[in-house]
Amino acid sequence: MATRPLSRCVFSAASSKHLRSVVPRVAAFHSTPVGLNSSPPKDDQSSSEPVTHFGFQTVKESLKASKVAEVFSSVASSYDTMNDVMSFGIHRLWKDHFVRSLDPGRRPGGQPMSILDVAGGTGDIAFRMLDHSEKVNSDRETTVLCADINADMLKEGEKRAIQNGYDSNRISFRAENAETLESIPDNSIDLYTISFGIRNVTRIPMALKSAHRVLKPGGVFACLEFSKVSPAPLDAIYQQYSFSVIPLMGQLVAGDRDSYQYLVESIKRFPSQTEFARMIKDAGLVNVGKGYEELTFGVASIWKGVKPLD
Amino acid sequence: MNNTIRTNFSSPSIGRILSKPITSSSSSSSCCSSLTTPRIKFRRRYHSYQHPAPGSPFTKAESAILSASLLHVPSHGFSNAALSFGARDANYLDISVNMLPRGVFDLVHYHLATERLRLGDKIDFRKPENELPEGLRNLSIPAKIRVLCMERLRANAPIIHRWQEAFAVMSLAGNISASMSELAKLSDEIWFLAGDESHDTTWYTRRATLSAVYATTELFMTQDNSKDFEATWAFLDRRLHDVKTIGSSVSNVTSYLDFTVHAFANVLRSKNVPFF
Ligand SMILES: C[S@@+](CC[C@H](N)C(=O)[O-])C[C@H]1O[C@@H](n2cnc3c(N)ncnc32)[C@H](O)[C@@H]1O
Repeated sequence: MATRPLSRCVFSAASSKHLRSVVPRVAAFHSTPVGLNSSPPKDDQSSSEPVTHFGFQTVKESLKASKVAEVFSSVASSYDTMNDVMSFGIHRLWKDHFVRSLDPGRRPGGQPMSILDVAGGTGDIAFRMLDHSEKVNSDRETTVLCADINADMLKEGEKRAIQNGYDSNRISFRAENAETLESIPDNSIDLYTISFGIRNVTRIPMALKSAHRVLKPGGVFACLEFSKVSPAPLDAIYQQYSFSVIPLMGQLVAGDRDSYQYLVESIKRFPSQTEFARMIKDAGLVNVGKGYEELTFGVASIWKGVKPLD
Repeated sequence: MNNTIRTNFSSPSIGRILSKPITSSSSSSSCCSSLTTPRIKFRRRYHSYQHPAPGSPFTKAESAILSASLLHVPSHGFSNAALSFGARDANYLDISVNMLPRGVFDLVHYHLATERLRLGDKIDFRKPENELPEGLRNLSIPAKIRVLCMERLRANAPIIHRWQEAFAVMSLAGNISASMSELAKLSDEIWFLAGDESHDTTWYTRRATLSAVYATTELFMTQDNSKDFEATWAFLDRRLHDVKTIGSSVSNVTSYLDFTVHAFANVLRSKNVPFF
């Protein structure tokens, strides 16, 4: 570990904040009742996309969008519990690894970074980014914008930012749809992250296009998401666990079986590791290595892509 | 940096070598195969800097960052700092180093692969004798091996004071097999450029012994303060002589390897470099 001497120090996320100012900005919530009726503009149905392929899907998609909002509104406060249930508690380690491997923060002689954490929810990743920048790269200037479609999740994140004394100049929360990222200028972001968020997005290719749009040339797209387990016997066990145990646990722990049922199904429907790497490439990003890195037998994976220079 | 170059041959200046990216868009399928199969038949003959060197496991973008980063190794070592400086020089962002899945090891690997692929540009004993430089004509195979080893080792000269950092990175669990495979490929390359294409039963042992000789000499060189690395060349000659006297009997070679690997590991341990 000669190369990353401080590699494990992001572990204690909530300690030692240098508190200067404690009020995170909550920027304009411009989309109307955020998260409730969040289906994006429908005008693309009439565009060149094959309508036949969209017919059945479209109905489901609009249903899905509002259902996603419902799910996350209903679990916002018990959110950590849910993540623990879904990942056997390993999600914290995955997130630590995710952030450590990205190594955010200013380098000697370089500039502070501008980080966008999409579907950032309660700020889990955003906080880790700031912690890592500060502890590993001694950087107190890099900023993170935590964007989510759901105002309830953002409110929870904002609360945590205040509680833990994060600098409001460095972290902000804003309602944004991953598909459009309306308020984010082109070529403005060094690092775009999305953690356990992409599978909830209705039109994933649109979200990837927007990621490409907002990234600076040379900027990095990084996604952490549940993925396909291999080898097959393990997959069978995991399917069994996820389809029967998780909703039951959801019922017991959070009193919310349906939301957990939805989450399990959304994981199952998400494309395979290679398929998603392909989608990243199709959006104009260059895959890193073979495109993804599997964690814990593929229960989750990390995909990275770089926006090319020209 | 230029005054650290020691070479008897008309090799291109190190500055040019380091700044010239070697790229390949072809798949890296050749990456692991050479550990198990003698590959001699279907391989490149001559390559030039105009064309990406076939067999380089790096993409164009990776090569751009890595070749720029190598120029920062003399002052910043094999480190994340060198990578960030290189990324900036290549017009990328600091965060773009995420393009390199194995980080600093990719930098080490790039140096290894690049210098291996360049060796044949500098010296190639398969050319007709009259095309070889004066002092390199009519040599025996062992003499050719010696010349090739020296030429490859000289390519480490500009970064030799940083090479122990590279050893440390190579000896991390996840990097050992790729490092060993690179060493085996270098051995193959040296035998090949020496003009020895035989595929008899001694093929594996010849490769293994040359790998051991090369690796120990390379390690020795990191601690050599003599003028123009004279001590290193003497060390190399002793190792090559050992090989000659033990012959190619498998049991001798095995114990020789066993001995050198242990000696190698001990040196690393004495330097506090984690090894196995
Ligand atoms: C499972 S949470 C992930 C939260 C956090 N990133 C983490 O890793 O713990 C998924 C989040 O995605 C958000 N989300 C769903 N669809 C979205 C969209 N189209 N645009 C932005 N956020 C979205 C949800 O509101 C929810 O907060």
